[in-house]
Amino acid sequence: MSYYRQGYSGPGGNPPQQHPGAPYGGGVQPGGPVGGPYGGPGPHAGAPYGGAPAGQYGGGAPAGQYGGAAPGAPYGGYGGPPGSSGQFGPAGGAPGAPYGGGQAPGAPYGGYGQPHGGPYGQQVPGGNIPPGVNPEAYQWFQSVDTDHSGYINLKELKQALVNSNNSAFNDETCLMMLNMFDKTKSGRMDVFGFSALWMFLQQWRALFNQFDRDRSGSINSSEMHQALSQLGYNLSPQFLQSLVSRFTVRGMSNALQLDRFIQVCTQLQSMTQAFREKDTAMTGNIRMSYEDFLSSAITRLM
Amino acid sequence: MAYHNQYRPPHYNSPPDQAFLWNIFQRVDKDRSGAISDTELQQALSNGTWTPFNPVTVRSIISMFDRENKGGVNFNEFAGVWKYITDWQNIFRTYDRDNSGFIDKNELKQALTGFGYRLSDQFYNTLIEKFDRQRKGQVAFDDFIQCCIVLQRLTDVFRRYDTDQDGWIQVSYEQYLSMVFNIV
Repeated sequence: MSYYRQGYSGPGGNPPQQHPGAPYGGGVQPGGPVGGPYGGPGPHAGAPYGGAPAGQYGGGAPAGQYGGAAPGAPYGGYGGPPGSSGQFGPAGGAPGAPYGGGQAPGAPYGGYGQPHGGPYGQQVPGGNIPPGVNPEAYQWFQSVDTDHSGYINLKELKQALVNSNNSAFNDETCLMMLNMFDKTKSGRMDVFGFSALWMFLQQWRALFNQFDRDRSGSINSSEMHQALSQLGYNLSPQFLQSLVSRFTVRGMSNALQLDRFIQVCTQLQSMTQAFREKDTAMTGNIRMSYEDFLSSAITRLM
Repeated sequence: MAYHNQYRPPHYNSPPDQAFLWNIFQRVDKDRSGAISDTELQQALSNGTWTPFNPVTVRSIISMFDRENKGGVNFNEFAGVWKYITDWQNIFRTYDRDNSGFIDKNELKQALTGFGYRLSDQFYNTLIEKFDRQRKGQVAFDDFIQCCIVLQRLTDVFRRYDTDQDGWIQVSYEQYLSMVFNIV
C-alpha cells in the first residue's frame, strides 16, 4: 500500500514536493449507499446485448480462427440488472480483443505459433500464402509493405489506412492496432499479425457503416449513443458527447471518423473490463486505492 | 544516448544554441517539410540498445509539444523536444550506473522514489512487466520515459478525484472511464 506524493512532473518541471501527508485510510467509509447501476437513463437496461448485432457479430460469425477477433465485444452489458449473471457469462467467451496479455478464447492469431517454416525472410511468391493468413490480407500486405521488409511499420500502416473523408488514420489508432497485433513488441507486424488486423478492421468498418445511419461518413454523438447501446454499454448522452468531442478532428463537426471510432470503442472495451473486475458487487461504483488505480490502467495500456 | 553520437551536444547542461539546433532539425526533418514527424523523430532517436525507439514514446513526446495538433513539431517546438529528451537522458544516466542502457527494478525504484512516488514492490513488478519491451527484466531509456509519462498522467488525474487526499477514490463507471481516457 502506498500513498502517492507529488509525482514528478517531468524534467525541467517543479522539483518533487512533499505533500502534507495525510495518511490514508483514515475514516473513509466503505462505499456509500449503493446507487443504481451505471448512470445513464437506461432504455436498454435488461437487454445487455441489444439483440441484433450480438448475433450478427458474435455467435453468427464464422467460427474460424479469426472469429475471436470480432469487435463489439460487449463487455458488459452494464446497465443490465445486477444479478442476471447471464449477461456476463457470454462476455468472457465473447469475441474480444486479441490484446492485453490474456489469450482470448478465440485465439485470434491463427498463424502465430504454427511451426510452419519461417514465413519471415523468405519472400513467398504470390499465391503461396502462409497458412492461416487471409488471402485478401496477404495481397494487401504485399502492397502495404512498400520496402518489402516482410514487416509493416507504423508509417506503412498509416499510409495504407484512410477514413471515409480520405484523411489518413491518426497515429494513436495506428499505434494501438500495431501494438495489439505486434507480438514482438517491436513496433511492426508480420503477415500473420497483419492478417488478424485486417479481419479486425473489416469488422469495425462494417459496424461503423451500420451505425452511420445518416451516411455522413462519420459517427456523431447520437449515433455513438445508439451504437454503444446496441453493443451493450449504458453510457449517458452527456458522457458520449464529451467523448466524441474529445476525439473529433479540429475544425470538423463533432463526429468520429472510422479511426477514432475504432480507437474509442477498443479502449472503452478494455477499460470497461478493468472497471468490471473491480466492481464485483456490480453497483456501478468502485472504491480504489492509488496503486489499484495505477495498476488497473497500466496493465491495460495499449 | 538519446541521439546518435554525432548529434550529441558538447556540453549537455548548457542550452544549445539556435544554429546547433537548426542543424539537427534539418538533419532529422528528412523530407524537408518543416516539421518533424513521428517516423522522422523515431529514426533520429536511439535508445542505446540498437532497437527502434519506442514509437509510443515518440508519439507521447510529439503530442506534448505539437501545439497545433499537426502531427509533428516545427523548429520552435523542436527546441522543447530536444531539451525534454536530453533532460530525461541525464536523469536516466544517473540511474543506469553501469551504462548498460537499461535500468533494473531497483534502479527504477530509486528513480521513481526520487521523483516522490511511493509504490509497493509488487507494483514495480507490474511496471517492469509492462514497460520492459525487450523482455530483459529491465527497462530501456525510451520505455523509461514512457513509464514516467504514464505514471505522471495517471497520478495527476487520480489526485483530482482524491479530494481529501487520503489515497483512495470512489468513482462511478463513467468517472472511471473519463479518468482513464486521459492517458489514451
